[in-house]
Amino acid sequence: MDYENRLVPENNLSTEHPLKEFFILLAGLTGIVIVAVVVLATLAESLALRIPFSVEERLLADTSFFSTQSATISDEEQRIENYLQKLANQLAAHMAIPAEMPLTIHYSSDDSVNAFATLGGHIVIFRGLIEHLPHENSLAMVMAHEIAHIKRRHPIVAAGRGITVTMALATLAGIGDSGAVADLVSLIGIPLTLGFSRAQEEEADEDALTALQARYGHVTGAEALFFILQEHSFAEPPPFLSTHPAADKRIAQITERQTEQPSVDSLTPLPEFFGK
Amino acid sequence: MYELIIFLVLVTLGYLIGSYVERKHFKSIREREQTYIDLLAFSVRTPPADARIGKSSLVAGSVVISIDYFKKTAAALRSFFGGRVSSYESLIDRARREALLRMKEQAKKQGANMVINVKLETSSISKGAKGQVGAVEVIAYGTGLTLT
Repeated sequence: MDYENRLVPENNLSTEHPLKEFFILLAGLTGIVIVAVVVLATLAESLALRIPFSVEERLLADTSFFSTQSATISDEEQRIENYLQKLANQLAAHMAIPAEMPLTIHYSSDDSVNAFATLGGHIVIFRGLIEHLPHENSLAMVMAHEIAHIKRRHPIVAAGRGITVTMALATLAGIGDSGAVADLVSLIGIPLTLGFSRAQEEEADEDALTALQARYGHVTGAEALFFILQEHSFAEPPPFLSTHPAADKRIAQITERQTEQPSVDSLTPLPEFFGK
Repeated sequence: MYELIIFLVLVTLGYLIGSYVERKHFKSIREREQTYIDLLAFSVRTPPADARIGKSSLVAGSVVISIDYFKKTAAALRSFFGGRVSSYESLIDRARREALLRMKEQAKKQGANMVINVKLETSSISKGAKGQVGAVEVIAYGTGLTLT
């Protein structure tokens, strides 16, 4: 009988190190995602800017968020809101806001330490933030920052970019046999989109400082806002994973401007009915 | 950010532990193949003409091997671009050789000297479902002959 079993020749295995293949493919996928996101985001931005402001206003016209807010507001809160609106109009005069972009300020009695600008020229400022601001200059910094977002049309650009990039990444993520590609694609794509958000915040900071300079003649007191935000945020994620530039960097930008001018002793106080 | 950290930890652990386990397994496989090299196993359907068969019985060996997170991610990347999924190739190789060895072990226990009509069946690695860890299942079976 001439049968024999020989030892397995080990010819079914690859001689290449698995990590080498892994990193080459990962680099390829990362490259594709980066190119796709950057190209789509840039295209989305230029298209979003062409959407007329009146469309933004119409988009929010059907929502009840702002109308229920103003219906339940108390007299005291209304007083604060009127003051905020007046401050906004004064700052807008120094920021060359076009006439067809009306700014509507909303005061919320919620105690979150936050403020935001959204579509249609609406700005919401929360009680939690105002309670912590020491003087009008810091409040003006917040207001001018939000107005700058609206002037540069950041809300509609961010919305357009977000939708485009999310849909593109979702399409990419659906390819392949397992869910691991989806995880990878979102892990690569998300920090990229955050970079765009940070660029917007930097632009808004710069515009705000210019507005403060025009209105008050100095930018003293503007940095108070960021110290307060630092105090009230949990743990700051690393800069490449966050929507805003690092607080230290923003404070440094302000102090740099301040060293270019003589320091001012008296800052504008907030009105008495703020209850300070 | 936490998703990124969890992902990196899973992939690193998967790679380190998975490649260690695989190396050990291959070492064990090669040793046992050497041990069982005299117990002949073939896919021929009929026994050799000059064999005098005393007893015959069904012998089988099966194994289920799971993939690790690193292999899963590497395969996912590969499925995006196409080509040889070498991370799964080593898995299948291990599983088939292990299944054959277990079949030979059972044959030896039953007193058989050779196994004929050996067949292998592989169950597909469970694909797709997000979050599920895949596994490969192989069964090897044949007719064990005790020659007199």
